[in-house]
Amino acid sequence: MVISVQTPDSAEAAHAALQAGAVPLGGGTHLMTRLNDRAGGDLRLVSLRRAGLSGIGVDGATVTLGAATTLADLEDDARLSYLSGCVRSIASPPVRNLATVAGNLFVPQPYGDLAAALLALDAELDVLGAGGARREPLEQVVTGGLRADDLVTAVRFTAPAQSAFRFYKAARRRLNSGSIVTVAARITVEDGLVGDVRLVLGGLARRLVRATGAERVLLGAPLNAETVARAAEADAIEPVDDAYASAWYRARVYPVHLRRALLGA
Amino acid sequence: MPSRIVTLKLNGAERELIARPSTTLLDALRETFGLTGAKRGCAQGGCGSCTVLLDGRPVVSCLIPVVTVDGSTVDTIEGLADGDRLDDVQQAFVDHFATQCGFCTPGMIMSATALLDRKPDPTRQEVTEAICGNVCRCTGYEPIITAVLAAAEHRRGVPLASAEAEV
Amino acid sequence: MARLTPIDNAYFDGERTGDFTVIGSAVQRSDARGHVTGRTVFFEDMSLPDMTHVKIHRSTRHHARINRVDVSGALEVPGVLRVITHEDVPNNWYVVLRLIGVGPDDEPVLAEDRVLYRGEPIVAVVAETEDAAREGAARVVVDYTDLPAVLDVEEALADGAPIIKQAGTNHFVYEGHHCRRVRFGDVERGFAEADRIIEGRYSSSPIEHAPTEPTGCIVVPQGDGRLRIHTNTQAAFFTLDNTALILGVPPTSLRVVGGTVGGGFGGKVDVIVEPLACIAAMLTGRPAKYVYSRAEEMQVSSTRAAERIVIKDGVMDDGRIVARKITLYVDAGAYSRHSPYGTTKAAAHMPGPYTIPNVHVDAYCVYTNRTPSSAMRGFGVTIGDFALESHMDRIARELGMDPLRLRLKNAYRDGDMKAHRKIASGTALVEVIQSAADLVGHDLPPEYRAMSSAERAEG
Ligand code: FES
Ligand code: FES
Repeated sequence: MVISVQTPDSAEAAHAALQAGAVPLGGGTHLMTRLNDRAGGDLRLVSLRRAGLSGIGVDGATVTLGAATTLADLEDDARLSYLSGCVRSIASPPVRNLATVAGNLFVPQPYGDLAAALLALDAELDVLGAGGARREPLEQVVTGGLRADDLVTAVRFTAPAQSAFRFYKAARRRLNSGSIVTVAARITVEDGLVGDVRLVLGGLARRLVRATGAERVLLGAPLNAETVARAAEADAIEPVDDAYASAWYRARVYPVHLRRALLGA
Repeated sequence: MPSRIVTLKLNGAERELIARPSTTLLDALRETFGLTGAKRGCAQGGCGSCTVLLDGRPVVSCLIPVVTVDGSTVDTIEGLADGDRLDDVQQAFVDHFATQCGFCTPGMIMSATALLDRKPDPTRQEVTEAICGNVCRCTGYEPIITAVLAAAEHRRGVPLASAEAEV
Repeated sequence: MARLTPIDNAYFDGERTGDFTVIGSAVQRSDARGHVTGRTVFFEDMSLPDMTHVKIHRSTRHHARINRVDVSGALEVPGVLRVITHEDVPNNWYVVLRLIGVGPDDEPVLAEDRVLYRGEPIVAVVAETEDAAREGAARVVVDYTDLPAVLDVEEALADGAPIIKQAGTNHFVYEGHHCRRVRFGDVERGFAEADRIIEGRYSSSPIEHAPTEPTGCIVVPQGDGRLRIHTNTQAAFFTLDNTALILGVPPTSLRVVGGTVGGGFGGKVDVIVEPLACIAAMLTGRPAKYVYSRAEEMQVSSTRAAERIVIKDGVMDDGRIVARKITLYVDAGAYSRHSPYGTTKAAAHMPGPYTIPNVHVDAYCVYTNRTPSSAMRGFGVTIGDFALESHMDRIARELGMDPLRLRLKNAYRDGDMKAHRKIASGTALVEVIQSAADLVGHDLPPEYRAMSSAERAEG
């Protein structure tokens, strides 16, 4: 049960609350669902809503998203139109008006589609920790996590070159549904051959997967059905069973969705 | 931590309440202010029956500790009608049989209202997207989509079906 | 608002007279204004001073013996007022259908020495707040010994299956019989005469109603000693009478206020929340609310039964079905609820809206360690129709015949004797198929066009 909710007005104050044992509350769209339904001891929350962590900055190719920026704010920002397909695939408008960028990084799969996109964009996090402010690659946080008293204050990444970003999500319903397979990729093609590629898979396994095997297959190869089919075989993915789909089904349809993500059909 | 006094601009009026840390916006509306139009269908953010407008945007009120939105503007279904006069979205829901059991209706109308406030001329697809977080188990959504589109037309000057009927 | 498709009453021409002003016109719903203004009062919109909250500690096992229940942890939670165990329930055993003479009472309001499904209620905790009730329920400790669970209807009926029901069989007993039976003609002779035998096996999973408004009630003790029950039941009098029997009080000491249901679909005809909320109100002298969480609504509220249907048909090459044998299993889950009745409906519905001279139906109402199933829109019929119509399509494919003509050929006609010995009347199936064919531009030859429900052509 929630026994206190702090609403600090600065990142430093929010961080101090974490150090004192409070749990961060972003939009609440994940944490509150648990608190509403389950017993489980006393909990102190620190809300990030007023901590000055919202806002979108675009400086040349450098994009900075405040940790508490809502998904709806991303959706509304024309400068981030390449993320709109991703964001609109997540939950529903009344949820996206609450859910935050940093919150999405820490929800369990098959949620966290924005995290998949940001990982494909090789994002970095601004973290306020015991030793002060620092930067951490998202990739490291996705595998290693953060300390309980680390506060993510912002996410930074380099905006992808024109049409270099692909996002594709297969779900049970077209709108408002958890992922069965999410493919997020930053990919460039020069003279018909794949130049640079970063490929991230969500929805399939317990955690986001950086598909390095597939990346190796794709790199330097012609971007066609045959290459993509081989790429789909290149990683050892352990798909999961959940209410959305069985592990068997996920494994079976992943190659199809990878093809659709990269080739559009 | 003790309870706190929270101020909201609720349906246009300044209101105060004493909130415990665990009090959600939905609890505050229903239990403190007696505004029971917003419903608790899941308390999980999944059904949308608790949808209200927070600073003009639709939100699931079941997931918000009310102390975190101190000072905000909140609009609920109770604030739409002008006395006995329904607003155009409400009237369109009546005219187009967009209600059955009625449990989803207040949340659905708030989502539709938020859409029309931002996009007075939505496509059918945009209506569908706007209400995709509002579950209706009764109607099959078709009459609801029709009603929202009719309300949008009305805002652009096309009379509602009920107005025709009265002629 | 005009109706999109005008009513076609050609079939009933001359049968219906009178000055209908509502049928065929669009009349505004009387409740719509309340719905769109948020003024419709659902049970949970009642606000009562001093209200208490009920939460349940539920079985974590599919099938287990209960060795010990320790409620002391719950009582230590600040705000917890009472715990309710089976000992506090005056008449703990019931079956909702006893009101129409169905027995035995096979379900406890709260579990006693065993649990038969995961999510079965064991202890109810009454507290000042929902949080405290939830915390209290979580602190109840139950010591179990697991028993073998049966999760499939055919396994439940197999030789050597563990018997899970105290009545001694894993199936409901219909007047001494192991299943609900329909016998019409001689099905074996029909098979012998048929040109071919076409068999099929069809299964469905349980289906949750998922009403937007969770099942629940608020019970208010009245000054005169009666209890006023605000509930979203779909069956006010089932609730009233069953609750009175469970509480051991005359029905006149209860008053049910209902009628506003936030979606039911059959999921709110079981009597689950009201008895415990009444007991909570009686023990504390205060209003008590018991409402399912969404998770409870999904996990423990009853579902549409899973069914398995095995069909064996004797079919002539010209499309006539001359024999149909059906073995049908309804998965009642752990307790009867409305399933014995649903199974009877399923049996009576066979062989579907077709006239078949030889019919043999065995319909089993089977108990398993799954969530009890119960009523849901057309239960007993819906899944049967899925199986029958899938099978009709299979027959059409095997015969290389148009599926509509196959159905027209076998469709029942007014005056036909049905397998369960009722005379068919007002059938209209032939005309409906003909109209449907018109609507989708499906060609029918003249002899099929000329067919009518009112008379059967020779042959
Ligand atoms: S009650 Fe808030 S979304 Fe269902
Ligand atoms: S009208 Fe019943 S849920 Fe929408």
